[in-house]
Order: sequence, then structure tokens, then C-alpha cells
Amino acid sequence: MGLQVRKLILERSGYTVLTALDGATGLTMFNDHSIDAVVLDYSMPGMHGGEVAAKMRESKPHVPILLLSAYMGLPAEITRLVNVYMTKGEGAPALLQKLKGLFEE
Amino acid sequence: MNLSQFNRILAQTLLLPVLALAFVSSILVWQVRSAQRTVTTIQVSDQGIAAATRAEKLIVDEESGLRGYQLTGDRQFLQPYHDAAAPLAETLTLLRRTLIAQNESPRRVDAITEAEKSWRISFAEPMIAGIPSGWDTRNVPLNLAGKRQMDELRQRVADVLDRESDMRGREIVNWRKQVDHTIVVLVFLVLAVGVFISVFTVSRLRRVSEAYQGTLDGLRRHAQATFESEERLRTTLTSIGDAVIVCDVEGRVEMLNTVAQELTGWKQAEAFRKPLEEVFHIVNESTRDRVENPVAKVRRLKGVVGLANHTVLIRRDGSEININDSGAPIRDRTSALSGVVLVFRDITQERQAQNALLASEKLAVAGRLAATIAHEIHNPLDSVANLLYLLKEETDPVTSDHFLHLAQQELDRIGQVSRAMLGLYREAKSPVEVNVREMIDSVLVLFDRQFKDAEIKVKCSVVENLEVRGFPAELRQVLTNLIANATDAATPGGTVAIEARRATPADAGPSGPRTGIVIQVSDNGGGIEPLALERIFEPFFTTKGEGGTGLGLWVSRGIIEKHGGTITITSNVGRDDHGTSVTIFLPVTGPPPAQA
Repeated sequence: MGLQVRKLILERSGYTVLTALDGATGLTMFNDHSIDAVVLDYSMPGMHGGEVAAKMRESKPHVPILLLSAYMGLPAEITRLVNVYMTKGEGAPALLQKLKGLFEE
Repeated sequence: MNLSQFNRILAQTLLLPVLALAFVSSILVWQVRSAQRTVTTIQVSDQGIAAATRAEKLIVDEESGLRGYQLTGDRQFLQPYHDAAAPLAETLTLLRRTLIAQNESPRRVDAITEAEKSWRISFAEPMIAGIPSGWDTRNVPLNLAGKRQMDELRQRVADVLDRESDMRGREIVNWRKQVDHTIVVLVFLVLAVGVFISVFTVSRLRRVSEAYQGTLDGLRRHAQATFESEERLRTTLTSIGDAVIVCDVEGRVEMLNTVAQELTGWKQAEAFRKPLEEVFHIVNESTRDRVENPVAKVRRLKGVVGLANHTVLIRRDGSEININDSGAPIRDRTSALSGVVLVFRDITQERQAQNALLASEKLAVAGRLAATIAHEIHNPLDSVANLLYLLKEETDPVTSDHFLHLAQQELDRIGQVSRAMLGLYREAKSPVEVNVREMIDSVLVLFDRQFKDAEIKVKCSVVENLEVRGFPAELRQVLTNLIANATDAATPGGTVAIEARRATPADAGPSGPRTGIVIQVSDNGGGIEPLALERIFEPFFTTKGEGGTGLGLWVSRGIIEKHGGTITITSNVGRDDHGTSVTIFLPVTGPPPAQA
């Protein structure tokens, strides 16, 4: 549900969005397609967001990553891997603004 | 020395002097008999002397009678002569018998008889016959012949008399010797027997005395040992760390040790012989009802009894302490009940520590659930916020309706989770009917995300309409613990199975078959090593390292036992067949009334 709603918000803002339900699918998609930016959930079945981010950095280190989490205060070694880290309560405008910021860098 | 030995010695000391005295008496009798024989011999001699003396006198009578007749020619003077003849013959016969009795030859008496006869025939009779015819009575040759015969006769009588006198003298000397001898023998024997009896009696008495002394020493040692043993026991009881009260069979206090005096507030002297209820006033912690007198309980159950849990001792000053105790019967040699001993201790601090641990475990559970809350509430909330954001710019009413419907779904989920969370901490005052399916579902909902993240398959099999009496918040806490443990063990990709059903007789606990329910939480994780399994219910024991508090199962067991149920765990670390299964039995009747 959260994933579908978030996809809709991003699409309405003009982005083309690919979604994956778990880390492994996401990584395959990341390697097979030309990806400009990644919005990553921390809590996922199988592999958590930190692990997925680390693998992405290995293959395509230049692709910016935005990590979303319901947890407050993730360990620094995880947040260090990503460009932006935000908690879910911050709302859709904050997400769109931070994502836009990634493209302007 | 036993009684038969003592009796033997008594018989010896009585019999031996009697035997010794009998011996002395027999010697004495023998001696007296011997003396009597000598006296008889002397009497025979006296008889002989008397006879000889009489014969001498009768002969003198004969001669005097004849001489008177010679001088006067008057026959009257012959009277003594004639009168003496018959007694003389008798006397000589007696004398002769006496000599024979003395083993002497009677020839001397025969000689006297002959001489007397010869004097009479040859001198006296011719003279008596001749005097009337004018014999010359003064004829000297004739008279000289008569005198010679008479002298000889007298000499013979004198001989016999002398001999008898000599014999008597000898016998008297002999008798004296015998008497002296008897006295000597008697004195010697009496002394010897006396000494013997004394020595023997002393030796026997010494043996008795030694045996008595030995018995006395034994008794003294025994008494000392008993005293020491009693002192040791008393010291042990007094210095023991637990409180001890000893009661008689009627339930009156006989002894309190130091700790018992401190805990009850009663001194030994004040409490002595008081009814136990007065000194040991105990009530149920929650109901405040008086707890059954432990002495009555021991008498009723005829064995060791433990007090009901949650017992409070009301001290003499009215203050209260939590205690934990047991009562045991004291039996005498015939196994009859002679008293009851109570052992108890102050567990107030223990209870406080336990309560603190329970509280800290609740906090730990809360902490673990914080992550779940974050996801289970935060995620749908985020979706709702995002949907509202989309709604603001949506113009198509159909899409708007769809967004609203989605938002409503997410809010319902939040409500569900929030109710489950509240239920986990809402304390019921008394046990209520709990629907097992609802309870399990409300716990599982909190684990949804965790199951998904760890890719855990959940198998849930719950019999419909299964109900049990209990405290729902506490039972949820137990289920949360068990499911969390199973999930941890099954991560990643394993299976957690939850089964709830009615108990069968095979599920009966140690207290026998009861109507109840069984909830089983199983996983196919790595299993628990047997050594760890033994300690799994101990507080602070964990197999999760830093990740666990080690209190979950300990608290769970406390809750289940409070509900009158049991909790058991089995685990397998086999290569192909591994996993852990925790089984809870809960009686449908719910917690025992004392817990209510």
C-alpha cells in the first residue's frame, strides 16, 4: 500500500517510477535499467535498506540514493552510505523536495 | 552386666556361705560325737568304780557280820553277812559286764568272785557252822588263814578299782584333749570360712560394683552426649537463617528461634504455650482472608505442606511482611504426630526484587515492541499522509473516493494495532473470559511486519470458540514472548507454528487430568542445546546474547503458574529435525481463587 501510494505521488510529480517489493528484485532492476535516483525503504523482506544501498554503491556509486525509514536514529554506517536519509513521518512535500535536491547536485 | 549375671552372683553370695557353714557344722558334729564317745567311756569307768567300791563295801559288810558273830555267838550279828551275799553277786556281775564293755578281760572280776567264794567256803561257812558246836573263834592259825584270804580278796578289789580309776583318768585327759582340739579346729575353721566368705563376697561385690560403676559411667556419658546433641540442635535451630517455630500437636507454640522471634515480634517467653494463630498470624496478600493454620493443614494432609503463595505475616506490631514457608510433622517413635515444625522466611525484599524484574521485563517487551509500533503505526500513517497529499490535488471524484477508501483501510489498521498495543498493557483486576483466537490474532498482528521482513511462514491453527479464564494482558505478554522467541529462532526464512486446542488427558500436568486448553508455539530454528534447555526458565538466562534480557520465559512461567497452568519446552538440535516447541496448559477454571 505505502509503495503504491508513494509511486503515485512520484509519478504525478513527473518521475518515471519502477518499484520492487524486496531488495533482491530492486537490485536486479537497478543493474538492468538506467536509473537516475533510488528511493529506498529501510525495512524490507529479506535484505534491509542498508544492505541494498551497499550493493548499489558497489555497482553504480554515482547514482544518488534516498533512504526512507520508520525508525529514528539508524546507525551512522548505514546513513553514511546514502545521499539523503529521512523518516517517513516527514510527508510527501519533504520527500519531493529532497528528491529534487538530489537531481540538482 | 546383665540381670541374669547379677542374679547368678546374688545366688553365689547366698549359697556359698551356707555351704561353708554346713561344712563347719559337720566338722563340729563329728568332733562333738567323738567327745560324746569319750564321755560315755568315762561314764562306764565311773560305773565300774562305783561297782568295785560297792563290792568292797559289801565284802567289808560280810567280814564285819562274821566278825560280830564270832565275838558274840549271837546269830543276829550275822545279818549283814547274809544280806551282802546277793548284792555282792549282782555287783560283781555288773562289774564283770563293765569290764567286758571296756574291752577288758573279766578275769580280774572272776578272780574276785573266786577269792570271795574261797574265803566264804573255806573260812566263813565252817566258822558259822562251827560256832554253835563250840569252835574256838579265837584260834589264831585259823583266823590268820581267814585274814590272808580276806586280804587277797581286798587286794583284788583294790586292783580293779585302781585300774578303773586309771582308765577314767586317761579318758578324762583324752576328753580334755578332744575338747581343746575341737576348739582349735573350730576357731581355725570359723576364721578360714569367715575369711573365705569375706574374700568371695568382696570379690563378687566388687564385680557388681564395677558393673554398676560401668553402667553409671555409660549413663553419664550418654546423658552428656544427649545434652551436647540437644545443645547442638538447639544452637543449629537458633542460628539457622530461616525462622523456625515448633508447635505441639494441639498447635501451641513451644519454641521460636531467633529469626522467628524477629519476624513475628514475639519473644520466646511470651509466645510459649500460646496458640499458633496468635503468634503466627497469616493472611492472603490480596484477599486478606486468614490462611489455614499450618498445624491443622499438616494434621489434615499428614505430611509436609507448603504455604499458599502470597502469604503475608502480620507481626505483633501490626506491620506486614511477605513470607514463604513450609510445615512438617514431627513424629515420635510410634510414628504418631507429636508436633509440627514451621520454617519460613521473609521474602519481602525478594518479592520487591521480583516485582522490579517483572516491571523491567515489561519495559523490555515495550522496548522490543517500539520497533513494531514504528512500522505498524508509522507506515500506515505515512500512507494516509501521502494519500491526503494526493487527494488535495485530485479532481476526479472516482479516484478521490479510491484514495479515501485506501486511507480508511490504513486508519483501520492503525486502530487495530493500537488496540492490540493497549490490550498488552491493560491490567484486569480479576480474571475474565478470554477468547483464545482473538488473543492470538491481536498478538500476531504486531508481528506482521517482522514476519514479512524475516520471510517467516506462519502456520496458525486455532480451534473456534476456545475460551479460558485469565488475565488477558498477561496472557498476551506470554504469547508475545513465545512468538518473539520463535521468530528470532526461525529467522530467516523459517516457520513459526501456533496451535491452540482443547486439552486431552495426554496433556494432563502433574496434578492430574483437568479441563483446559493447550497453546503450542513451535519453530523450526536451530534448537536449544540440552545444557541451555535445563536453565531456560532461570531469570537472566538467555541464548540471545546482548539481544535478550533473559527474563521472558521466566516471567512467562510465573504468569502461567499464576493461572494454575504449566509451561513446558522441548527442543531438538538434530541436523534434519531441529526446532523448539513451547507448550502451555491452562485450566479453563482460570487462576486459583487465592490469586484472584
